[in-house]
Amino acid sequence: MDFPILASLVILPVAGAAIVAMLPRNRTELFLPVAVLVSLPTLAVAGYLLFSFETGEAGFQFTERVLWYEPWGLSWNMGVDGISILLVALTALLFPISILASASITKNVKLYMVSMLILEAGLLGVFLALDLVLFFVFFEITLIPMYLLIGMWGSANRVYAAIKFVIYTALGSGLMLAGIIALGIMAGDQFGGITFDYMALLDLELSSNAELWLFLAFGIAFAIKVPLFPFHTWLPDAHTEAPTAGSVLLAGVLLKLGTYGFVRFNLTLFPAASVDLAPWLVTLAVIGIVYGALVAIVQPDVKRLIAYSSVSHLGFIVLGTFALTMQGLQGGVIQMVNHGLTTGALFLLVGMLYDRRHTREISDYGGIAKVMPIFAGVFLFSAFASAGLPGLNGFIGEFMVLLGGYLSFPVHSIIAASGVVLAAIYLLWAYERVFTGPVTKAENEKLFDLNLREIAIVAPLVVLIIYLGVNPKPALDRIEPSVEAILERIETNTDYDVPDFGYTAELPVEAAGEEE
Amino acid sequence: MENISFLSVAPEVVLLIGAVLVLMAEVTLKLGRRAWALLGGGATVAAFGFSILQWLRVDEVMGQLNFSARGVTALRLPMVVMDHMSAFAGMLIFAVAVLALTSAWPLVSSLGSRGAEFVALFLLAVAGLHMMTMASNLILLFIGLETASISLYVVAGFTRDQARSDESALKYFLLGSFASAIFLYGVALSFASTGSTSIYGAGGIQAFFQANVILEPGIALIGVALMMVGIGFKVSAAPFHQWAPDVYQGAPAAAVPMMSAGVKIAGFAALARILTVAFPALQDDWTTAVALLAAISVVVGTLFAIAQSDVKRMLAYSGVAHAGFILMALVGGRAGIPGMWFYVGTYAFQLVGAFTVVTLVTGSRADRAPFDAFRGLGQRAPFLAGMMALFLIAMGGIPATAGFVGKLSVFGAAVDAGYLWLVILGVVMASAGLFFYLRLVVVMFFQDAAEAPGTATAPPELHAPSRVVLAIAGAITLVLGLVPWPLLNLVGDALPL
Repeated sequence: MDFPILASLVILPVAGAAIVAMLPRNRTELFLPVAVLVSLPTLAVAGYLLFSFETGEAGFQFTERVLWYEPWGLSWNMGVDGISILLVALTALLFPISILASASITKNVKLYMVSMLILEAGLLGVFLALDLVLFFVFFEITLIPMYLLIGMWGSANRVYAAIKFVIYTALGSGLMLAGIIALGIMAGDQFGGITFDYMALLDLELSSNAELWLFLAFGIAFAIKVPLFPFHTWLPDAHTEAPTAGSVLLAGVLLKLGTYGFVRFNLTLFPAASVDLAPWLVTLAVIGIVYGALVAIVQPDVKRLIAYSSVSHLGFIVLGTFALTMQGLQGGVIQMVNHGLTTGALFLLVGMLYDRRHTREISDYGGIAKVMPIFAGVFLFSAFASAGLPGLNGFIGEFMVLLGGYLSFPVHSIIAASGVVLAAIYLLWAYERVFTGPVTKAENEKLFDLNLREIAIVAPLVVLIIYLGVNPKPALDRIEPSVEAILERIETNTDYDVPDFGYTAELPVEAAGEEE
Repeated sequence: MENISFLSVAPEVVLLIGAVLVLMAEVTLKLGRRAWALLGGGATVAAFGFSILQWLRVDEVMGQLNFSARGVTALRLPMVVMDHMSAFAGMLIFAVAVLALTSAWPLVSSLGSRGAEFVALFLLAVAGLHMMTMASNLILLFIGLETASISLYVVAGFTRDQARSDESALKYFLLGSFASAIFLYGVALSFASTGSTSIYGAGGIQAFFQANVILEPGIALIGVALMMVGIGFKVSAAPFHQWAPDVYQGAPAAAVPMMSAGVKIAGFAALARILTVAFPALQDDWTTAVALLAAISVVVGTLFAIAQSDVKRMLAYSGVAHAGFILMALVGGRAGIPGMWFYVGTYAFQLVGAFTVVTLVTGSRADRAPFDAFRGLGQRAPFLAGMMALFLIAMGGIPATAGFVGKLSVFGAAVDAGYLWLVILGVVMASAGLFFYLRLVVVMFFQDAAEAPGTATAPPELHAPSRVVLAIAGAITLVLGLVPWPLLNLVGDALPL
């Protein structure tokens, strides 16, 4: 076995957390810089991974496998494919940024930094794990640091939000655990030895009934995490009460655990149930898109507004996933990354505004663009990206999702398209109320514009938003083979035919027409 | 004498000698607390050592006694059996006992000369508990049960000056003796239907079921059911749990760790032996009952724990839920025993650790432990609060703690036995359980002590040995969460003969 590069992705943040934990207690000024520094090697490894990843390969790369406990069939089993590689990179990128953006944390800074780094390890582990129990362990480990982040450093209503977040998520993951155990034991019956190895479980033959129930066990866990309507009620509270970095990571990465789980496990392990239940999930997704957007419009709290916009945007990802078409699924995967970048940027910006004025009420602002022009510009830019303006990253993903969705669920997709319009309404209306017009409040006149540190925080996101907007091909090239393999798997295991447009001409997805 | 293996009874003998010596040290020799600690601790540690020796030499000694796996033996009616199960139970019980005795030491010191009685009773209780796990005869099992119970009744009422402690002892005694009577009635009925009170041996229940088929097992079933009720009471499985919250709350805090953790270990070991060794023939019937008991315990324990405002009561109800989780392993019959062991073994240390923290926070004689007493503990005593949080998280079953592996193993056993509904109920209740575990974490870390007027703001005095107890329990919880394989391998062998 080569150097265990994926394991190092998980170990580096943990080692970093240990380093931060060992810093002398009274040197509080060291915690943040050291935490940023120790998160950089992880980013470097993730970057190396991203560039040395073989494009055009559907299977898992850099795989590692060490048997842990024979009787239970547990192994340290990791690998990346085109779906997870981008999420790994996104996670590794967002952490240094959000740690850097945590300067306003003054209480228990050391514990905060340790929680952040443990959270990073957990999240990277989730995307890398190819053993179901290992996946579950990482999935659950993320709960505790996130719980602390919201509960200790959140705003007024933080304890309620933290508990709600944990209970909702734990409920879902509890069901998933039951599903995982059942799956492993069924594998034991069929293969003569319990295994939780994802690759082995792909060969498991399930009765359609078992497949349905297992799909639900996994699906509810992921639906809560996404969150899919009507499981979304924890999200506005958690996002709103969390500290800035917490919101960024919740929106940027944690929600993706749900959509990633759908793509990685539900579609491949339970293809028949996926096909059967797709209309339901797509319907819920579309309800979420429209409902989230409508509720976002009327929010008086700018952070809550962005939180509800996440409900809407994540709906697009689920729609794309369960459209079960090349374009839809590919769009869904790339939209996971896009949403992480744009919503991450928006939460960071709102956090910066909050640091200055300590209010999130839209009505407390007005005319901010005059005193903070750079800030206003970056905010408008991120809002455009979030609303899916062509040329920026959000457009590619949503366009592909709607395109792919139209092939299999035309009515749903037409309704979902209204979400794009609504997004423009809630974002631009919020922009108008916060930034344009005369400065109405005296407190707002003395606000200072972004400083160098803050520009450094948002700059990487802005660059990536533009880059993915004008040149999504490198990303799509990495996603495509893996997505294609998933759909092929569904076609071979069910009598479902992946619909396509019948030509491949100008689409960014060259291979779309090659399927049956 | 050739049929006696002294090794098999060595732990009990050491403990009884220890108990007698402690009393003598106080009454005759007028030696101080240091001598009690030396004798009591020494006896428990020696018992622990003998258990390890038993584990290593099981096969050899069993060979001497002409035991074989099928229970056919030169002995017609053996009284005790020394197998991997009893040896493992011994290791657990004695290890827990050492920790519990250490954390009870502030109480012992505060009792004056009565402290020696406390230590002696404690040792007797430990001996009784282990006797339950090694009894091959149901009567001897009952004697062990009673030895442990009566000692613990007294311990529960040890702070006689406090009315609540008396109430707790009386309640424990009345309900406990009622449960013992029910257990005994179960033994009588099983004797009526099988003609034996011995589990092993040529004339034992196991041999009886191997030789005969009971077509109408009504009496035997009632007997098994009554024995389950009796032990269900001791391990506080719902609906036989009502005593637990009152007794835990009323008893002096320092006495609770042994009362909760030790009894659970012994009770489940005894139950597992009775069900899977003596009555495997009736497995189809009793698994249903065990599953029901598990389901009720998990639901009742979790829901009631949510409503508590006292940490000891909350832990008592959570103990009911945990009893349910442990019972889930037993629906798998013999195959579930390793899962049961892993869960009980790790949970016992979490429980000892948690109650040690409670003892330190509220004081060793205190009866109540309101949530408010824990406010801001994260700032006042970060070590205590951190350890408490670890135990609570482990009880909640979060990965990277032993609690998760325990849940995984009992759920695995239940799924394997085809009880998927039970597991789904279990996971739902486990996640609901996070609510009250995390509620205490919230109180400790997210709330400032100053917010509640009149509560203690000074850091609790930290009894140094208790710190060691916490460190050991914490290390076990964490290490077995990250590297559970050694214990999993060990419990895989910890099966009854």
